[in-house]
Amino acid sequence: MEKILRYTFLTALFLTTSLPAWAHFGLILPSDDIITQGENRTLNLQIKFIHPLEQHSMEMVKPRAFAVVHRGTSQDLLETLQPQKGKSSDQAEEFTYWTADYTIKRPGDYTFHVEPTPYWEPAEDLFIVHYTKVCVQAFGLGESWDQPVGLETEIVPLTRPYGLWVNNLFSGQVLLKGEPVAFAKIEIEYLNESADNPSIVTAPSDPYVTQVVKADGNGVFHYAMPRAGWWGFSALNEADWTLKHEGVDKAVEIGAVFWVRTREMK
Amino acid sequence: MMSGDRRQETGDRIVKALLFGLAILLLWTAPCFAHKVNLFAYVEGKTVYTESYFPDGRAVVNGKIEVFDTDKTLLLKGQTDSEGLFHFVIPKYDSMTIVLDASMGHKTTYRINRQELGE
Repeated sequence: MEKILRYTFLTALFLTTSLPAWAHFGLILPSDDIITQGENRTLNLQIKFIHPLEQHSMEMVKPRAFAVVHRGTSQDLLETLQPQKGKSSDQAEEFTYWTADYTIKRPGDYTFHVEPTPYWEPAEDLFIVHYTKVCVQAFGLGESWDQPVGLETEIVPLTRPYGLWVNNLFSGQVLLKGEPVAFAKIEIEYLNESADNPSIVTAPSDPYVTQVVKADGNGVFHYAMPRAGWWGFSALNEADWTLKHEGVDKAVEIGAVFWVRTREMK
Repeated sequence: MMSGDRRQETGDRIVKALLFGLAILLLWTAPCFAHKVNLFAYVEGKTVYTESYFPDGRAVVNGKIEVFDTDKTLLLKGQTDSEGLFHFVIPKYDSMTIVLDASMGHKTTYRINRQELGE
C-alpha cells in the first residue's frame, strides 16, 4: 500500500513538473504568407489551440473575435469560421479547430487576428486567452506590418514578418494596453506540422521544446529561427481582470502570440 | 599661363569634383535597387483601375503606363498621378498586359485575363 502511495505521489509530481514544458499556443496558420501575381488569391486559415512542437491540440470553442486589418480598416470575419475535427497521431480523441477562407482582392499587408474564448486550464488553475496574429502580404505592398491592431496585448513586429530566411533574427515589441512590457517573457516554439518541415523534430529534453527569451526594458525581444517552417512567439502576462470558475475568481493568462514563416535559402 | 603647381591643383580639383559627383550619383541611385516598383490592377464595371507603388507604400508618381493586347498591339498610354493611380475604360474585350515604366530601369507588368473583364 505504501509503495502504491509513493508511486502515485511520484507520478503526480512528474505530471505537475512536466506540464509547464508543454506551452500552449494560439495558432493562425494561413495557407501562404505572401501572395503574388498569378497565384491563388484565396487563403485558407486554420485556427487552433496547440502545443506546436509536440503536435498536441486542445479542444477549441468558437473564438470571440476573428478579423483582418488591411490598410487601416478592420473587417469582421467571425461568421466565416467553420468548425473542423482533427487529432495528432498519438492523441486518442478528436478535437475541434476552426478554418476560414479569405479572398485577397487588393495589394497590402493583411494582419489576421483572433481573440479566443477563455480556455480553462485546470493544471495551471487559470484561464488562458491568447490573442494571436499573423501577417500576409499581397502583391508586393508591405506598408503596415509594423502597426499594432489595438488588442489588449500584442506583439508588434520590428522585423518584417514575412519573406524570412532560416536563421533570420525575428525582433518584436510586446505591448500590453498599448504600452511596452519591460522584461516580458516570450515563449517560442516551432510548428512541427509546418509544410516546409523536412522531418518531425523530437526534442532531446523539455527545455528544447519551448525556447524562452526575455525582452529588454522597452519590451523588445529577438530570436534567430534555426529551421524552415512556422515559428510562434508568445508573450505572456497576467490580466488585471479575473474570470469565475465554479463560482471562484481565477487569474487569466493573456498571451500575445505572433506567427512567422521561414524558408531555406536555396 | 599656369605654373606646374597650379595645373596640378586644377587637376586635383577636377578629380575631386568628379569623385563627388560620382558619390552623389551612387547615393541617389543605390537605394532604388532596393525599391522594386509594383503594379496592381483590377476591374470594376467597364473601368480598369491601376495602382503603382513601392513596397513601403509610396506612390510611383508620373510613371508611364502602356496597355497591350494579346497580339502585343499598344491599346493606350497614360501616366500615374501623384497617388500612383491611373484608370481607363476597357479598350478591348481581350486579355491585356499593363506595363509600368517608372524610369531608371524600373519596369513591371500586370496581366488581366479576359474573364476578369466580364461580359
